[in-house]
Amino acid sequence: MTQQGAIRIAGDSHVGKVRKTNEDALLVEPRLGLYAVLDGMGGANAGDVASQLARETIRDFVLHRRMTLAPPALLEAALVAGSTAVFTQAQQHRERHGMGTTVVACLVVDPKHVVVAHVGDSRAYLLRDGRLQAVTRDHTIVEELVERGLLAADGAERHPYKHVLSRNLGAKAEPRVDVLELALRPGDRMLLCSDGLYGYASAEAIQYLLGSGDAPAHVARDLIELALRGGGGDNVSAIVIEAPDAAPSSTQVVRTSGALAWWQSRQRFVQVAGDTGLTRNPIVRGLLPQEALDLVALSLCQAIYHDLEKSTGVNVWTFAQNLAAGWFERGGDWKAVRGIIDILGGSARAVVDDIRGRDAQLGFLLDVAVSRALIVVELALGGLLAERLRQVDTDLIELHGTALDTTEHETLEMLELPDLHELHELHEVAGDRPSEPTRPSARFLDRPTIPFLRPDRPITSSGESAEVLNAIGETITIARGRLSPRAELAGQILSALETVATDNGGNFAAAVQSARELYGARSVDNAGVMPLYDAFDKARLLVASSVHQLRAPPAIRVRVLRSLSTAHQRLVGAATGLVVEAVAPFSERLREVQAVTGGLHDAVAKAERLRADLERRFATIVDPSLPWGARGTTEW
Amino acid sequence: MSTVPTLARSYEALRPKVLQRLLELRSTLDPSLGRLDDPTARAQIGAVLDHLGNFIATGDLGLHRAFLHTFLAMRAAEAQSPASVLAMLVAIGDTAAQVAQEEGAGTADGAELTLLLTRVTASTARGVNDLIAEELGRRIGQRSELTQRSREGKR
Repeated sequence: MTQQGAIRIAGDSHVGKVRKTNEDALLVEPRLGLYAVLDGMGGANAGDVASQLARETIRDFVLHRRMTLAPPALLEAALVAGSTAVFTQAQQHRERHGMGTTVVACLVVDPKHVVVAHVGDSRAYLLRDGRLQAVTRDHTIVEELVERGLLAADGAERHPYKHVLSRNLGAKAEPRVDVLELALRPGDRMLLCSDGLYGYASAEAIQYLLGSGDAPAHVARDLIELALRGGGGDNVSAIVIEAPDAAPSSTQVVRTSGALAWWQSRQRFVQVAGDTGLTRNPIVRGLLPQEALDLVALSLCQAIYHDLEKSTGVNVWTFAQNLAAGWFERGGDWKAVRGIIDILGGSARAVVDDIRGRDAQLGFLLDVAVSRALIVVELALGGLLAERLRQVDTDLIELHGTALDTTEHETLEMLELPDLHELHELHEVAGDRPSEPTRPSARFLDRPTIPFLRPDRPITSSGESAEVLNAIGETITIARGRLSPRAELAGQILSALETVATDNGGNFAAAVQSARELYGARSVDNAGVMPLYDAFDKARLLVASSVHQLRAPPAIRVRVLRSLSTAHQRLVGAATGLVVEAVAPFSERLREVQAVTGGLHDAVAKAERLRADLERRFATIVDPSLPWGARGTTEW
Repeated sequence: MSTVPTLARSYEALRPKVLQRLLELRSTLDPSLGRLDDPTARAQIGAVLDHLGNFIATGDLGLHRAFLHTFLAMRAAEAQSPASVLAMLVAIGDTAAQVAQEEGAGTADGAELTLLLTRVTASTARGVNDLIAEELGRRIGQRSELTQRSREGKR
């Protein structure tokens, strides 16, 4: 790491995991206040020639002309000189034709003032108040299109020319250079990097590392490591420039003296944990008291210490996850976890209070930091609990499904076996035999094989005998008794079934009337109709199983079942009619909407074809004679 | 040392800024907040910030628990997992504490409010976990009962 006055600077470069040569070049000249990252390109090893030649030229230019030009003009002219040198050499050496380099350069005028200049897609970032912002805009064809309003920003990421440069040093003797001046604030950090970094590492990860508070040399090394872990598909280079802090930030205080004070109090932490009953917690049962304190209390104390040092929560998170996951796997309950975490939280507070007593300011900062560590513990536990809840929910759904299948199966058995038997008996009484056995799947059907009623029974206007009507009433009463008080809708359906089954008119009108009463309370567009149909199904199962609890002769039970199943069919039919009637206007509207969207689909397809055609024509305009790979170095 | 009413007033004064910051950063703070449209996010975050104000003013843990219970239930009805609800509540509390720290930098009130908001967030996280654990306990009970019934049915 180097230092320019109070400013700290560090840079690093790596060939990456795929390329054989490193065509990137770094320029770190603290005595000139000049820093740059260059990314060379061009076949036959010309890329590294271009980047190194440009680097030397820029450095020499700044060295010799710094007294004669103002900083922005100096840096701009230096980059132009670098381009001229590369261009000239490319013209003189046939094998180096087409070579070039990108550059992002920073001239530190004083600790509060820098000038940034760039050509190509090497970037400068500024980290201020923990947030990363790009200082430069890539000189690529796509970015130029976006800037001119010819391409939407959201389309840029998918564009085929995303990586094709519109400018670089060496393509022209005098390229256009973008220059800007920046006022640095205390604690600001700047990053200069090649596309090998930001192409293989997310902006969030770069922000995290740059804001970690580590020394610039460590940050530069970590950034390179980050890109390598992300694939390392290109040469990767980074320079970190750090403006001096006005005063140590609270984060720095916590990371240094705060962490140290915490670690020095570890005995107190362990002692409070022991005094408040950690060794009696079920989670540490079987361990010797000292083992328990070391394994649990000291481990958390250490995890908090490491997290304070690094301003992260990863150690505390891992501790909490391991502790609780291990306990849950052993079948342990939440109470024990809550108990041990409360004990550890109490110990942490006791330590913080002690430190606060000695140093109020440091104690306050630690209080906030340790409270945050305890929040991380809760977040880790919450994740585990939620995952367990999800697993139990999955089991419950499966078990409910099995239970429903079993109930339905049992109901069928209850219904169908006696049904067949009884039917045979009844047919024998009537001197008739069924032509074929009733299929088990044909439930609730109005079967033509149901025998005639005996003429000595009184006939009501509903077509059923008083005995059957009474039995229907009894069946509904039994069914109601088996219904949960909360299943209000199913209860209403049972009443409706009774009304329809015992209707004097014996026609469809009673069913329609009852269905209107059931359906009228809800509408299609808010509650939906599924609860109604679920309740129909529930009522059907209940009625079927209740019929077999009737103390009545088999013939009566068959008659009751027949009447109620007919009533059920009529009721469901009437309700379905109402639903169809209610949704009819919406169906009409839907058809209209479909017609409109069909038209829109055609328009979009036409626009897509037009866009594709324009792209093809555009590609021809750029430079049809060059192969795709070489177009990237063409000035546009 | 500042009194509770003073801190509650400081919090109330800060609330619009906290809300604004949360709305700006909501997609980076928590994915579940990022997925919400602006009016819904404003309503949800606003409800939490309102409650935080009440909790700071009253210190009523029963009320706090009741709020968390309702909030969890409402978010569950919107198919949000309890873990994402927890992350959302912590993100809101943490941002409120950060804004308090920035706005009250160098003042005793600012420091105390920051600490108070951090502790309230810790208490929130603790309360949410206890509620999730209770629900988990209930459902484990249901599972045992259903498993038992299923076994008996097979016999």
